[in-house]
Amino acid sequence: MAAAAAAGSGAPREEEGSGGEAAAPQPQAPTSASGARLSRLPLARVKALVKADPDVTLAGQEAIFILARAAELFVETIAKDAYCCAQQGKRKTLQRRDLDNAIEAVDEFAFLEGTLD
Amino acid sequence: MAERPEDLNLPNAVITRIIKEALPDGVNISKEARSAISRAASVFVLYATSCANNFAMKGKRKTLNASDVLSAMEEMEFQRFVTPLKEALEAYRREQKGKKEASEQKKKDKDRKTDSEEQDKSRDEEIDEDEERLEEEEQNEEEEVDN
Repeated sequence: MAAAAAAGSGAPREEEGSGGEAAAPQPQAPTSASGARLSRLPLARVKALVKADPDVTLAGQEAIFILARAAELFVETIAKDAYCCAQQGKRKTLQRRDLDNAIEAVDEFAFLEGTLD
Repeated sequence: MAERPEDLNLPNAVITRIIKEALPDGVNISKEARSAISRAASVFVLYATSCANNFAMKGKRKTLNASDVLSAMEEMEFQRFVTPLKEALEAYRREQKGKKEASEQKKKDKDRKTDSEEQDKSRDEEIDEDEERLEEEEQNEEEEVDN
């Protein structure tokens, strides 16, 4: 296994892959100076969601990270789309109904129908 | 404790921050709307995971990897996410690599506290070796678990 090669260096192999099940809890999303760039959602929570799927055996660390980042992009996208509806109503506060409208209007959000109640 | 997967919510504070930064200044969001978005994000992750898992299974792998997730995005018609995600992935990989090198470097510095010049030279050589090794590891990671 790849782990053998890393073990030679003496540094603990924190990475992913086969360690999916046994891995220690992920630290907070990479909080380097450019934390805003990488991910703000805690990887541990995303991982919990991923593992909730009975068909999923393991997920690599990179996969979790990308899912977290994708979820952020998704939140931005749906917030903006919902805001368009609110704007039309000349409101400055996003309401639940704006979200419902966006879900109905945008094809990509079809998977959300019926899931938010 | 969470009864269903959909109940596993992402932290409200983070969700709120992401929403606020996506919207113009002065725009607010009702509690219900925010909570619905948070829930939607969880559903999104679950759905994306399921899609990604299909790709992994097609590839006869048991571990979800980054490209499975990217394929899932396209499948879900979120192609517009693919490019920013790829960039984020690159940055993430660089950071992981940097962290690893930094911690290995620290360890070496610790070991070498006594000697100086000669050690410095050999340290440079070793860094190169480590980089090679890291590259190998990365390749191994990608080919990865098919055990």
